[in-house]
Amino acid sequence: MRVEEAVLPGVGRKYTITVQSGDRIVIVVHHSGKREVQYFEAGEEDEPTMALDLTDEEARELGAILAGVLFHPEAVGDTQSKLGQKVIEWIKVLPGSKLVGKRVGELALPPGAHLLAVDRPGAPLIPNPSPDTLLETGDTLVVAGNREAVEALKRTL
Amino acid sequence: MHPSVEAFALAAGLLALGAALVHRFGFPPLPIYLLTGLLVGQRLPVEDLEPLPSLGLLLLLFSVGMEFGPDRLRGLSGKAVQAGFYDALALPLGFLLGLLAGLDLRGAALLAGAIYVSSSAVIVKLIIDLRRAANPESEVVLGVSVLEDLVILVLLALLGGQGLHGFLLSLLLAVVYLGLARLLGPHLAKVMEGLSDELVLLLGAAFTTGTALLFQMAGASVGLGAFLAGSLAASLGLRERFERLFGPVRDLGVALFFLVVGASARDLFQGLAPAVVILALLGLLVKLPLNYLGGARAGLSRKRRLYSALYLVPRGEFNLVLGALAQAQGYPLVAQVAVLLVLLSVPLGALLIRFAPELGRLLLREAPKPRRPARSH
Repeated sequence: MRVEEAVLPGVGRKYTITVQSGDRIVIVVHHSGKREVQYFEAGEEDEPTMALDLTDEEARELGAILAGVLFHPEAVGDTQSKLGQKVIEWIKVLPGSKLVGKRVGELALPPGAHLLAVDRPGAPLIPNPSPDTLLETGDTLVVAGNREAVEALKRTL
Repeated sequence: MHPSVEAFALAAGLLALGAALVHRFGFPPLPIYLLTGLLVGQRLPVEDLEPLPSLGLLLLLFSVGMEFGPDRLRGLSGKAVQAGFYDALALPLGFLLGLLAGLDLRGAALLAGAIYVSSSAVIVKLIIDLRRAANPESEVVLGVSVLEDLVILVLLALLGGQGLHGFLLSLLLAVVYLGLARLLGPHLAKVMEGLSDELVLLLGAAFTTGTALLFQMAGASVGLGAFLAGSLAASLGLRERFERLFGPVRDLGVALFFLVVGASARDLFQGLAPAVVILALLGLLVKLPLNYLGGARAGLSRKRRLYSALYLVPRGEFNLVLGALAQAQGYPLVAQVAVLLVLLSVPLGALLIRFAPELGRLLLREAPKPRRPARSH
């Protein structure tokens, strides 16, 4: 994926995103907060196949969905969201994992990694899980921290 | 009740009416303000509206300085610079036209500026209103506008004052301003962050108008002062904040300013010489092929080249600054051409840009492309 950024004086900024298939998405972020999104099919230079206007609020909501904040796809397994130098990781407790039956307090979290929440299918999210929360198969651990610490944690699991 | 309130209510009502009329057709409102002024100019008490229109122009130049100031140069692509070079060929051509029309060197230089400089403010408004920001030609056109505004600054500094003395003063003031921004910039920006919006608004207003007056007292161009004030504010990182605070005030002022330009155009054109009309039309024509070639250099497709040439038709704020300067320095012919260019090019440019796709099809005889079948994965 290639991202090109250009300043449009008086208007805002323009991002041209070329994805693997060659299709392009052009996003203009206006000073006013409005977003213009245009989609060009691969090889098509001139006429966008689709154009879409979003308010600032809509754009943020869409961004959150794309980033997997609201729901992260099952097939991907572990995903990462970028927060500058920090990352958020979703780590799934698979059947047969050594995590099953452990308590949160027994997890060896490297310094710099934090357990934000445990997401249990069919149950409300458990934010800031207490040390005696028991982990089950199918849980997803939401871990945040600096990249090295989170990577180290993933290796130990 | 002060008579200005009456005048303001009348003007605001007329502007709202004009804007409402064109809003239905998805047409940008700026040209309508000019035309409204032309139509009702006789009955509108222009004098009573002051200082709003004058402030409108100052704030407009301040905005242009913020958005198109020297610090934008770093973000320019090589393509835009090349297109800007072609665009700048309008200067020598305009200068020649001026000499042919029997003007002296100074008058010819003023005319060259009026023919050369497109209106960044009008173009930006048109691009946003017509939702063309994502198009490839917009990037090139806006880049060219940055270069134009810088060239015209130099020209204003050269011609704005009374000869060399005025030029040196302008230069000195500009250097002092930019030097202050360098020295105090980070410190000032920190202080500003802690201030309330209201205080920043008042400080900004005082700073902009004060700078313009300072430049006027120095015998330099008022427009140059307002533009530099804007560039300075941008270099302090106040761009977004000022845009948010001043935007509505500026838009109101600019609408009134265009109305007043339209209204006072009648007096200017008492006994309009055919030479003025011919010069203005030549000025409009001369830039079209240049910008088309520039678009080619920037790697735009044929259709987009045409669009970019059309986008650069509108002349605006700097023409009115140059016009006032020419009038003051005793070149009524140049002043008339400069203002006529604005009156012609803003409505014409808006029409051309609005119907650019249709024009493109007509001129380039493009057969509609067959839709490719959707790709299956």
